[in-house]
Amino acid sequence: MNNRQAQGTTLFTALLVLIGIGVVVQLWLLAASVDALMRHQQTIPLYAALGSAAVFVINGLLVLYVINFDRKIKQ
Amino acid sequence: MPEERNKEKDECLECKKKDARWRQDFPVEWESDNYVTRREMVKFLALGSLTIAGANAVVAGLPHILKAAEMPRMKVGEISSIPVRGSKLFSYPTKADPCILVRQQNGELVAYSQVCTHLSCAVVHNEQENALFCPCHHGYFSVDEGRPFAGPPTRPLPRIKLEQQGNEIFAVGVEV
Repeated sequence: MNNRQAQGTTLFTALLVLIGIGVVVQLWLLAASVDALMRHQQTIPLYAALGSAAVFVINGLLVLYVINFDRKIKQ
Repeated sequence: MPEERNKEKDECLECKKKDARWRQDFPVEWESDNYVTRREMVKFLALGSLTIAGANAVVAGLPHILKAAEMPRMKVGEISSIPVRGSKLFSYPTKADPCILVRQQNGELVAYSQVCTHLSCAVVHNEQENALFCPCHHGYFSVDEGRPFAGPPTRPLPRIKLEQQGNEIFAVGVEV
C-alpha cells in the first residue's frame, strides 16, 4: 500500500464516520419533527426539514469528494 | 528427516483444524459470506440520508396537505339547546370521530376531538373545573385551547372549527 492509498484509507474511514453521524442527526431531526407534528406545532417540522436537507447536502458533498479521490487513486 | 516430520505435523494440524468439531457444528463459509465494502456502506448511508431528508420534508408538508383537503360542513346542533357551561357530543368528520362541543361561561363555543391524546379514551366535560377530563388516567385539558394541564397527556386535543349561522352551529374543519 503506497502513501496515497494509506491516506485514502484514513480519509475514507473518517468520512464514513462523518456521514454516519450526519445520518444519526437526521434521524433525530425526523423524530423531533414527528413529535412536534403530534403536538400541532408547524414551525419545528419546517426547520427540521431544512436542517435535514442541509445535512443531506453535506453528506452528498462528502460522498462526491470520496468518489473523486477514489478516481484519482485509480488513475 | 526432522523437516519431513515437521511437515507431517503441520499437515495434521491443518486436518485437525478443518475437521474441528466446532466447524462441523457451525459450517459457515466465510469466503462466500456477504462482504460489504466501505464504499457500499458510504453509498448506503448517502441513500439513507436522502430518504430521511425526504421523510422530513413530507412531515413538514403534512399539515399543509391536510389543510388543503376539503373537510365536510356538518350541522352540530342549535345554540339554544346547549346551556351555558354545558356540552354536547357529536361526530365529525365521520361517524367514527367522536367530538365534544362546549359552551363556555362567556357564551363562546369551542369543540374538540373527544379522543384523549394519551391513550385514546373519551374525554368528558368537567363543569366544576371547567376542563375536559379523561377518566382513564385522570388527564385534564383546558377548555379554552384544548391544551393538557394535568395528568399523563402531553399533546393538545385536535380542535374542530365551528361556524354559526343564526341559531345553528356547523363544524367546518379540524385544526391539526
